Amino acid sequence: MKALFYKEWIKTRWFFLAAALVSLTLCEYCLLNISRITELKGAVHVWEVMLTRDAIFIQLIRFVPFLIGILASLVQFVPEMQQKRIKLTLHLPYSQNKSIGTMLLFGILLLTIIFFLNFLFLIVYLNQVFALELVSRIILTAFVWYLAGFLSYLLTTWICLEPTWKRRMINLLIAVALLRVFFLSETPEVYNTFLPFMVLYTVIVSILPLWSVQRFKDGTQD
Amino acid sequence: MIECSNLTHYYGKRLIFENLSFEVPKGRILGLLGKNGTGKTTTINILNGFLKPHSGECRVFGEKVQQMPAYMRQNIGMLIEGHIQYAFMTIEQIEKFYASFYPRWKKEAYYELLKKLQVAPQQRISHMSCGQRSQVALGLILAQNPELLILDDFSLGLDPGYRRLFSDYLRDFAKSEQKTVFLTSHIIQDMERLVDDCIIMDYGKILTQQPVKKLLNAYRTYKFNVSSDFEFNSPELYHPTQIRDEVEMGSFLVFDEMRQLLDSNGVFYQNLTAQQVSLEDAFIGLTGKY
Amino acid sequence: MIRFSKIVFTITVTLLIIWILPWCYQFLTTTKTDTPFTLYSGVINDFAFIEHADKGLTYKDVKNQVYSEHEFDSILPLFFYRQLLSEERLPNRLFGVDLTPRLIQTENFNFRIDPNAVNTPSIGLYPLLESMSGRVDLEMPDDVFRLSERMEFIDIETNAINEFKTNVFTQMLQKKGFKFPAKSIAGNPTDRKEYDEGYLILDAEHNLFHVKQVKRRPYVRKIEIPKQVLVQHMFLTEFKNRKFLAFVSDSQQRFWVLETQTYTFKQVDIPSFDPACMSMSIIGNMFDWTIIVNDGKTKRYFAIDASNYHCIKSLTYEEPELTPMQKFGLYLFPIQLYFTEPTSPLIFPRWTLSWF
Repeated sequence: MKALFYKEWIKTRWFFLAAALVSLTLCEYCLLNISRITELKGAVHVWEVMLTRDAIFIQLIRFVPFLIGILASLVQFVPEMQQKRIKLTLHLPYSQNKSIGTMLLFGILLLTIIFFLNFLFLIVYLNQVFALELVSRIILTAFVWYLAGFLSYLLTTWICLEPTWKRRMINLLIAVALLRVFFLSETPEVYNTFLPFMVLYTVIVSILPLWSVQRFKDGTQD
Repeated sequence: MIECSNLTHYYGKRLIFENLSFEVPKGRILGLLGKNGTGKTTTINILNGFLKPHSGECRVFGEKVQQMPAYMRQNIGMLIEGHIQYAFMTIEQIEKFYASFYPRWKKEAYYELLKKLQVAPQQRISHMSCGQRSQVALGLILAQNPELLILDDFSLGLDPGYRRLFSDYLRDFAKSEQKTVFLTSHIIQDMERLVDDCIIMDYGKILTQQPVKKLLNAYRTYKFNVSSDFEFNSPELYHPTQIRDEVEMGSFLVFDEMRQLLDSNGVFYQNLTAQQVSLEDAFIGLTGKY
Repeated sequence: MIRFSKIVFTITVTLLIIWILPWCYQFLTTTKTDTPFTLYSGVINDFAFIEHADKGLTYKDVKNQVYSEHEFDSILPLFFYRQLLSEERLPNRLFGVDLTPRLIQTENFNFRIDPNAVNTPSIGLYPLLESMSGRVDLEMPDDVFRLSERMEFIDIETNAINEFKTNVFTQMLQKKGFKFPAKSIAGNPTDRKEYDEGYLILDAEHNLFHVKQVKRRPYVRKIEIPKQVLVQHMFLTEFKNRKFLAFVSDSQQRFWVLETQTYTFKQVDIPSFDPACMSMSIIGNMFDWTIIVNDGKTKRYFAIDASNYHCIKSLTYEEPELTPMQKFGLYLFPIQLYFTEPTSPLIFPRWTLSWF
């Protein structure tokens, strides 16, 4: 398992470092923006806009985790599918499910670290300037976007590892529809009651790439 | 070591082969020869567990390939067509990666081979030439030290020098340690130097499976002149071709048997000659030029 | 593992199909449904409405009498008073009351309840405006409060609790019998209004309190609720006329007016009204109100006497018949999954079974 982590790290380290940098920079930009508005129009105005007009000031990063998830998967798994290199991993004297599972776990762990850093960044600043209710409003709203990041990673992997183009297209359509559910509304905190089920579903979906790999091993053709 | 029985496979509606059966005994180097599209890569994919045949069964080390327990794969060395490897790793990194999976890993075998290449351990594989990559692939297999090697077209993309280096090293390794090798190549001259036995495939079935030496001893290319169109056919004659008044064909019949066959069928011929040929010529003779 | 994958895949695809296909079908077969603008006219003692037709607008009443635009203004003088004023046609007296533009403006009000707003969870922070600052315009305060085990004020600039103010207000509430934690709260957290009446707060034992800030001091008044009334939803009004403090709906879906001066509850004579799934609009004047209740299928109009809240007349617009395509859609898609609905902003899977 360590060896697989090692291989994945070598393959993807620059991407994950870049993703961390970009996402944290964008978070920082949003927070600076809050400071700026506070300077210009006063904290009372900022709180009022949050309380009465559904503002959360971090709309800029709404699609960032989603994109990071997709790119992470592409960076990790497109090289594996080029010239069917994944055969090298599948040939190892290590269970095929465990191999792929380990690769997925690596991706999920790295995403967790990046997303956690994002949240930490946000929470540390927001707690200083906003009451708990407003901080939790922002964080709970953003949580859905970051969960979409994990889902986009898993679904993109599912599509990448699928050996046939016809099925890839079908998987893509399904993935688009599923991800759409995460972006049905911009209103803050409207996913609160649905969130636990969304988390559960995202965890369950992690099993789909294993099916793609099995189809690959069976040599399924278009 | 390898036992395949009644393998049948289709790509869509196209039949690749039907009821294909063969065995590879321990300690032999066996080459699979066939034209493009006859199912060589299909066979290799089935053997490696990357293709489920339409019907039939393949066993390696006595285990069905599709259900082989993971640990048994440590005894199978695999080479993918084109010496494909994880090109984003360096020489050092890739050795470190594979070493942890194989308890019998021989690091020295890998580095000894690569010393000859004069490449730094920090050299990325993606920055190496095809030939250098093939040596990396070979080095990894030598270090793994498996009992069975399955190599898909080991000559692809290699210069003659690297091809020679590869096959010499491989033969030396296989013979000195009683390894079993199953390989394909589209360059038959390389096969002739390397393999003990060969299987020749021709559109859907096995034409012949026998030791190369025996094949080359038994097979002859016959040439003779005729005065009219040569229209005689027999299962013992392989792909007779006529250019003007000269007929050329292959056969396993000895000279006297051939003469008898032609005479008894009323073929008028002159200047009958028999020649023992190289494996490549034998292959072309058996499978035809087209 | 693989079998579980296939099950997950099949269930996912099924759910997506019963979500997306019916949505697409409805998107393609939606027809416009419109009800005409309708208002009760005390002049003709019946409902009058404006219909949109191909040739333009038609002004009618329920008895199908047609009016010109000019005449229509006259039968709804308090609604169209500005038009009448500009044409110098505003009557001096109506129903025994001398009319002035100022009086009409003060007494007229519009009110709306949207289930979407009712079903939106509250953030839990509320600004308490100063209701008697001595200034003409209201100002947003520099703090907000939350209701936990006390009424906690948080200073916005420092994001810290103002313990002094918290204690002052909490103690006053407790003195008046308030039991923490609060169950619900209603108010209008904006400075774009004529005056501020603070908040109505329901405590842990379902007692109702009126709380506001007067000259920086807490004003707390316990309001007697009629027996057998369990308050569910409250809507603080703050209309110009200052006659009523709030509209209230209870657990039995009765609709009440809470009068300002006397803090008495008066029931409004309309059938069940549930703000969680029905919308309400009130266009009111000093003599009568037109209450429009929409439950998504049917739109009902009630003419209410402003002096005693009795229902004078009512009118119902039934939901238009489904088109054949829409009916077919119900058979084609017996189960429909959807995540959004018009009465709630919350995203959550819901389904309808159209064969039952």
